[in-house]
Amino acid sequence: MKRKFDHPAPAAGEELSGPRYWRSLDELAATPGFQAQLEREFPEGASDLNGVDRRNFMKLMAASFALGGVGLAGCRRPEKFILPYGKSVEGVIPGLPSYYATAMPVRKSAVPLLAETHQGRPTKLEGNPSYEPNGGAASLTAQASILDLYDPDRAKAHTKAGATLKAEDVSSMLSAAARTYAASQGAGLAILADESSSPTRARLVRELRAKLPRMLWAEFEPVQDEPPLAAAQAAFGAAVKPVYHFGKAKRILSIDADFLQADTGSIANIRGFSKGRRVTKKDDAMNRLYVAESALTLTGSMADHRLRVATSHMLALTAKLVATAYPASESAVAPLSQGLKVDQKWVEACVADLMAHRGAALVVAGAHLPAEVHALVYGLNTVLGAIGETVTFVQAEVTPGASTISALAAAIKGGAVKTLLVLGGNPVYNAPADLDWAALQKSVPEVVRLGYHIDETSALNPGATTHLAAAHYLESWGDARAYDGTVLPVQPMIQPLFGGITQIEVLARLAGEQNVDSYALVAATVTALAGPGANLEKAMARFLHDGLLAGSAHRPAEVRYDTAGIQRLFGSAQPLPALGVSNLEVRFVADAKVDDGRFANNGWLQECPEPITKISWDNAILVSPKLGKELGIDPKGSLVQVARKETAEFYMGKENARVFELSVGGRRVRGPVHIQPGLADYTVVVPLGYGRSVAGRVGKGAGFSAYPLRTSAAPHFVAGGKLSDTGARMFLANTQEHWSMEGRDIIREANFEAAPKPDGNSYQENPGYVKKVGMESHSPSILGEYGEKMSPQDRATKIPRGNSLYDTPKFDGHNQWGMSIDLNTCIGCNACVVACQAENNIPIVGKDQVLRGREMHWIRLDRYYSSGTIDAEAFGGPGNVELPSDPQVSLQPMTCVHCELAPCETVCPVNATVHDEEGINTMAYNRCIGTRYCANNCPYKVRRFNFFDWNQRSLDSLYMGPASEFGMPELLKMAKNPEVSVRMRGVMEKCTYCVQRVQNAKIQHKAKLMQRRQGAAVSLEEIRVPDGAFQVACEQTCPAGAIVFGNILDPKSAVSLAKGREQDYAVLGYLNVRPRTTYSGKLRNPNPRMPDFQPLPFSRVEYSRKNEPASHGHEHGGHDKSQKPGKKSPAHGATFDASKTGGLS
Amino acid sequence: MSKLFPKSANRLPLQIVVYLVVLAGIATAGVTYYMTPKYSRVGYAPVQPVPFSHAKHVQEVGLDCRYCHTNVEKSGHSNVPSSQTCMNCHSIIKADSPLLAPVRESYSNNTPVPWVWIHQTPDYAYFNHAAHVNRGVSCVECHGKVNEMDTVTHSKPLSMAFCLECHRDPAARIRNPGDVFNLNSSRLAEQGEAGVKAAERFKHDWKLMPPQSCSGCHR
Repeated sequence: MKRKFDHPAPAAGEELSGPRYWRSLDELAATPGFQAQLEREFPEGASDLNGVDRRNFMKLMAASFALGGVGLAGCRRPEKFILPYGKSVEGVIPGLPSYYATAMPVRKSAVPLLAETHQGRPTKLEGNPSYEPNGGAASLTAQASILDLYDPDRAKAHTKAGATLKAEDVSSMLSAAARTYAASQGAGLAILADESSSPTRARLVRELRAKLPRMLWAEFEPVQDEPPLAAAQAAFGAAVKPVYHFGKAKRILSIDADFLQADTGSIANIRGFSKGRRVTKKDDAMNRLYVAESALTLTGSMADHRLRVATSHMLALTAKLVATAYPASESAVAPLSQGLKVDQKWVEACVADLMAHRGAALVVAGAHLPAEVHALVYGLNTVLGAIGETVTFVQAEVTPGASTISALAAAIKGGAVKTLLVLGGNPVYNAPADLDWAALQKSVPEVVRLGYHIDETSALNPGATTHLAAAHYLESWGDARAYDGTVLPVQPMIQPLFGGITQIEVLARLAGEQNVDSYALVAATVTALAGPGANLEKAMARFLHDGLLAGSAHRPAEVRYDTAGIQRLFGSAQPLPALGVSNLEVRFVADAKVDDGRFANNGWLQECPEPITKISWDNAILVSPKLGKELGIDPKGSLVQVARKETAEFYMGKENARVFELSVGGRRVRGPVHIQPGLADYTVVVPLGYGRSVAGRVGKGAGFSAYPLRTSAAPHFVAGGKLSDTGARMFLANTQEHWSMEGRDIIREANFEAAPKPDGNSYQENPGYVKKVGMESHSPSILGEYGEKMSPQDRATKIPRGNSLYDTPKFDGHNQWGMSIDLNTCIGCNACVVACQAENNIPIVGKDQVLRGREMHWIRLDRYYSSGTIDAEAFGGPGNVELPSDPQVSLQPMTCVHCELAPCETVCPVNATVHDEEGINTMAYNRCIGTRYCANNCPYKVRRFNFFDWNQRSLDSLYMGPASEFGMPELLKMAKNPEVSVRMRGVMEKCTYCVQRVQNAKIQHKAKLMQRRQGAAVSLEEIRVPDGAFQVACEQTCPAGAIVFGNILDPKSAVSLAKGREQDYAVLGYLNVRPRTTYSGKLRNPNPRMPDFQPLPFSRVEYSRKNEPASHGHEHGGHDKSQKPGKKSPAHGATFDASKTGGLS
Repeated sequence: MSKLFPKSANRLPLQIVVYLVVLAGIATAGVTYYMTPKYSRVGYAPVQPVPFSHAKHVQEVGLDCRYCHTNVEKSGHSNVPSSQTCMNCHSIIKADSPLLAPVRESYSNNTPVPWVWIHQTPDYAYFNHAAHVNRGVSCVECHGKVNEMDTVTHSKPLSMAFCLECHRDPAARIRNPGDVFNLNSSRLAEQGEAGVKAAERFKHDWKLMPPQSCSGCHR
């Protein structure tokens, strides 16, 4: 018997109650242009050839077709060669990758890594699982850093005044310098280096300083990712830094700290944080995150309570928190918080909650904040009993006697510097603007630069500059310390491709060391660290094998908070700056992708959308909606917008941003303005790292540089900014302007705890809340009654047909693959996006093509905002009075979900996309003829089309067709994963569940099994790949552990357990496509005592307003499976009646 | 009725014949080109830099395949030996043979000997040796009787149809695991009724289920 089911008709005026998650401000405003765009499969222009219509194209191509027919002989396979080694290489098995431990140094810490190499060619980086705090995860930048190794624009030779230097010339030059300056004890020699945690470098610097005591050694980093030492010096009397243990923290307060992304140790922080966040069953505990911040960071997007405060008010806020938590200090700190305008109740309830969790609470302050804030936060943590529990203090990495760039500048001005050696860094680009570094550097008679690129610093005065090509960390021997102090090896995977040298080699030569071999230098340090009596050779072998020196982490220091000590930090209380449209606070933040500019020429990072703004290839001046309004650039209510600037703001779906001039204290920069909800009203956020004038072909021309605004007095934030319209406009490649999902029940959220007035909507009351949301809750199960009773294993293989007529594919493989993504722990860091790109040879397409919606990422991280109040005027709501300033953020990684009943497969005319017997929706590239029907029919919009031969043509000559040069640069070829096809123009591609990893794991498992068992019978369980034997690329790198992949036929596998949770749901499940990737619903954990407590997440409020007519009230039930037709449920009203009357036919 | 066929229809029979002849011509050309051994490279036996004879090394010297192709059981790629492997013997035997000059040169300079690649699969097809030789598929199934070849010759078409033939019916082609590297052995299915039974049993016991979907070979 077939059931007929009628959906309740929405009440008048509710018919089109607007997209509930909005992805850009214009979507929120529901402009007609946006509506038109929503209807399109690809954004306008994405599927058009530029300037050539199809008919003309055919005409043009006819000649080529004719020619193509002649050269049939060209189809013959060319002669190819097998080139085995002359002498066998130990441990290398052609066809199998080898893994070596190494580490990526970043400022004063490093990311421990494992590099996958194919016959000596590194192709992929993964976190080193031996380093427990990171658990095998890697960050976005670490994943992408391998591309820098193969950067065709890197410095390829040592040069002096433009002429190439041989390696011998370099060593003799350095030795000569060593002799010269040894005579003068180093007077006249100055070295400006970037920060480093390398014990070997520290040792060499010590030796060098002993030899050349009058040498000036300065260190400079434009971006601060560790708390200022002055705070710890004052509070504890020791040079220590905090190491956080988020896993133990139940209540966390972040004071402008982006500890999940920008701050050092972020991978371990994410791991700890998600451990406390993960909820697998009803009685699990869940941490609660309070965030006070001025920008909208990833940390802020995870907040349960978020307070927008200007960064310059953070000291006042911290003082208020301290006064509330520790009333005895009130008289001392009260003056600091004078004039602060925040909700007193917010502070009180927050502090009360923290105090109620003494010993399991944690307060974190952003590294960019002044020492005073940190000193107070250390006090707060002392009061909360956090020290020794959720935060420990360890010795910080300091180079003794290191000077600052300002001191160096003074020395240069004084004419005391004859030779300036710049090790790494890029001071001409990023030194504080008040130093006028370029002029200073020009005034030095001799400049030697060790740099990876010929960048601004090396290109400044080429006549007088010697550039030494630096080796990539994957080409050099070295060492580094992880954030907690663990010593890590930096191990080369390959000989320096262009003869690059390392910092430690340069320093060793200057110090006149006998042996300047990097390996010997590192071995000397490590064996010294391993301690006397250790077997040195064994210790080194173990060090390189494990990728860390066991037990070398710094011991937690005993710290005692010194109230008297911190008073030295505080001068007289300064009045809080009154911020307004003519006195803006400008915040300089390291970019999530290109950092301080060091990754500017990395195409993977440039193309990866910024996690929050979703802008790729550019930075923008981020302004709050309120400021946007005051500047007159906000999208106003939809009716106003039709007449006004809808085409201007979004021309053909491209964000057509206004270019403003941002001025602070007489310094000016120009950049596009992007309205970013969630910012403090008068805080303007400018990401650093863009606008490189001398970078490679990727980095040049991307974004604008904000460094000219920064001074040494105020490197992180400054008041007094002013914005003025230049009248110019520019396009921003904003990827969330595309691919709209029209705001349905895509991300299902609930509060963790019951509200004071229990409504049955929280997770603890109803762990299966996801079933109450969405179309499925209004309809009978798509699986049918029979399917509902089946076990998940049976469901995956037998495919209950429900009422479907469609003949389903056979799933008779030994394994059935599936994935589960936990939206509750995903923090949206984008590491998976780039990990996938590295693993699967995904090309970049360039800004121009991203603007056309042709980006190729197999994973996209959707970021949705919800505010609970949106009701576009056009849809009968109250209209947009103004743009919401305080949205809730929901993040969702979206990739091919491998539908069991895949809509893409039914429309492919050539069977290029079909299922395999293990449930993977495969793509046979060699079959694909590029109709793009599959992309059209994909409800998740995850298929990517090769509009051009991205791999073979350079991105600036895509439109030149055959006239452009064909072929990939040799260097880039080396970056490709040999296990994955490099796709050509005209084929579709998408996530394959890393089929190469799946197949190789199966083969390896079977080969070993058969050899072990000598052909004896094996059981079905044995032939299955053991759970956890391999990981797909995104799962492997996810620091939050949010992605789980595995065999769903094994009821004990991690993925089966994850899918078995009650909060598991399928996105767009009502379409009956039965995705193999399912999601675990997101939870929020707000505190009912807070003034901004929301009994329902905003997205659920919006969901209810859209889907439930007024007669339903705010209660929402959905259909419980237990309810039998005919039983009246008062909560359901119209919905249920409809099912009853139209139920059986 | 006269209106039904226009006058031009009188030429129709001739036209049909002409079309058929042209069509048959194209079909013949197509079949000749794409379906003959020339296209599938059966018979391809290029001149190698060193006239290495498998027949001599296997039949006279008695080497196992795995003496040179050491990693065939572990790796997807069956490695061609490094010159060092050759020099294990040839530093003593025929140490001065001019025919072996490229090998000696390769060994001393650590440069590769450019062996011409015979058994090529397309870039998008990922054949895995380990998966096959560990599951009862002998070298001879794809490479022919290399042990009898003086010059290695491409002897099987290695087309997708060729692969699928076996993937659809593995029991007909598998060998006893001990016989995989014995190129003179016969398939189980050819060893009488007991062999057929043994093949079926192995297929069941080893859970043989060669993939027939795209992802088995294409990534």
